[in-house]
Amino acid sequence: MSTKPVLIVGGGPAGLAAAHSLASVGQKCIIVEKKDSLGGTPIHSGYAKLVPSGEWAKDAIGGMVDRVTGNKLITIKTGNTVKEFTGKPGNFSVKYSEGKGNSVSAAVLCTGFTHFDSINKPEWGFGTFPDVVTTTQVEQMISSGQGVRRPSNGEKPKRVAILLCVGSRDRQIGREWCSKICCSVSANLAMEIREELPDCHVYVYYMDIRTYGLLETKYYWRSQEEFKVKYIKARIAEVTSDGDKVIVKGEDTLVKRPITIPFDMVVHAIGMDPNVDNMLLSSIFDVNLEPNGFIDRQNSYGGMGASSREGVFVAGSATGPETIDDSIAQGQAAAFSALAIANSQLAAAE
Amino acid sequence: MAIHEKHLIRPENIKTHDNLVIDGVDVSGHWSTFIETRVVTDYNEQLQDEIAALPGGEYIHRCWQCGSCTNSCTVNAINPDFNPRYWIYLIRVGMESELLRDKEIIWQCVSCNKCTYACPRDVVPEGVMKATAHWLEMKGHTAPSNSTIFDEEFTRQVVQTGKIEDGRILMNFLKNSKQPLFQDWLIQMVKQMLWHLPIKYLMGMGLATLFQPKTKSWGKARAAIEEHIAEEKAAERAALGLDAAE
Repeated sequence: MSTKPVLIVGGGPAGLAAAHSLASVGQKCIIVEKKDSLGGTPIHSGYAKLVPSGEWAKDAIGGMVDRVTGNKLITIKTGNTVKEFTGKPGNFSVKYSEGKGNSVSAAVLCTGFTHFDSINKPEWGFGTFPDVVTTTQVEQMISSGQGVRRPSNGEKPKRVAILLCVGSRDRQIGREWCSKICCSVSANLAMEIREELPDCHVYVYYMDIRTYGLLETKYYWRSQEEFKVKYIKARIAEVTSDGDKVIVKGEDTLVKRPITIPFDMVVHAIGMDPNVDNMLLSSIFDVNLEPNGFIDRQNSYGGMGASSREGVFVAGSATGPETIDDSIAQGQAAAFSALAIANSQLAAAE
Repeated sequence: MAIHEKHLIRPENIKTHDNLVIDGVDVSGHWSTFIETRVVTDYNEQLQDEIAALPGGEYIHRCWQCGSCTNSCTVNAINPDFNPRYWIYLIRVGMESELLRDKEIIWQCVSCNKCTYACPRDVVPEGVMKATAHWLEMKGHTAPSNSTIFDEEFTRQVVQTGKIEDGRILMNFLKNSKQPLFQDWLIQMVKQMLWHLPIKYLMGMGLATLFQPKTKSWGKARAAIEEHIAEEKAAERAALGLDAAE
């Protein structure tokens, strides 16, 4: 096939899956990645073991990176962004931040999400008390091999609280969506903490638990039955400190009783925000955003991954909170939609 | 403002001031009744493990707080303060001080097991109630209940002789539970028995009460049972952090 290449924006799980799918059927493609290396958030944020496979991120996503690196059909442009995108399906014209440009048949936006910045919920102590951290930081403590330690003094914590829905389901800060995967990720981290530090007790403060589907048994119940993780129905009102311990205040709603409990560490289960660049992406690619700021999808019944612009597709957490597995599936599905455009252009040429 | 949840107020949290002046204003009287908020300030991390170590409590960690047990409960229908769902939660998260407030109600479970059949998670709440009552006694929070005293005498006789002798069980139970031997209902029952039972059975009962026959060659079985009970008791006491000896 001698069609124009497909443009893939973003080198995370969705983008890597799209690129591999296209190359495996002989379609040329170009991955544009703003960071200096591929892998996306799981690699760049230093995730530990992934949910639900339990594989280390550097092995699982690293394998996906290796699969596209060196493939003759895949051009990789790291440290690069798209500056201009014009034309119509089958014949789009792209300009990159490096200055060069070329023409492509279709584009797949795999631009991902941005982690919620806990500083926007000051009442929960992030940025004020060193022992208040995010799930991403705990992932890094585990993946770096350092282990889970209190940032204030480097000691092993004896008691850890995980607060769910930090930056999710919160109308006050304009984030009304459920970030979908934090419950399972938190249960997974709680088990990892219990495994590394058996003397450390882990408490999860929740409004409701959304370890959906098969994750119910694998994370919610396994964490309780095998790892004795405690779940307490309370949305925490504030996090303070006595100078050593971090003090969590709230109401245990099942007991109707105020609680003021000291912890060695508090972990924010941070949600998934729309990519901070989405406004820019929306104007460059002329695609609509949905009301929360994620890239809007057309209905999925006609073809997977359609955006509001013909010939431009979208996959993964660019469309809303998404798991890695589903991002990969969407990347492959969008690749198939893009391939149809590339091929119709080939058919027209013949 | 009206108090909406009066049932949450415990008498010890109500502070009344006969003479109280705030900012120069005399507020003595019935409105100077203050209710202190009770705040839970810590969790007892061992509590769930301790209950789970006692017979019946093994599956407490499965509970998801649906309330099927409380809804199906015979005792709860009579006393709304009898709430197995609530106690299971307190135990699971380690709110020991809250649990102890209900120590005089928990043992009232009648073991009808309706909760056991209603429970979607196979927690066996009836077993948890039993384990919890047991825990309260072992920790010294409650005095041994009459049913415990009865069980002890019953078990003692079985272990000693391989048999039970109703008359002795009754007498020793009444003695150990500090109840008078001459109970109206008991006198009535004995009168009826003397009147209606064939003389052969009466003689048999009388002889058994006097001589306490043993099961043949009971010695070995007794030693094995005693050893097993001692092991189980020691394990339970160790799980509760108590000294090995009672």
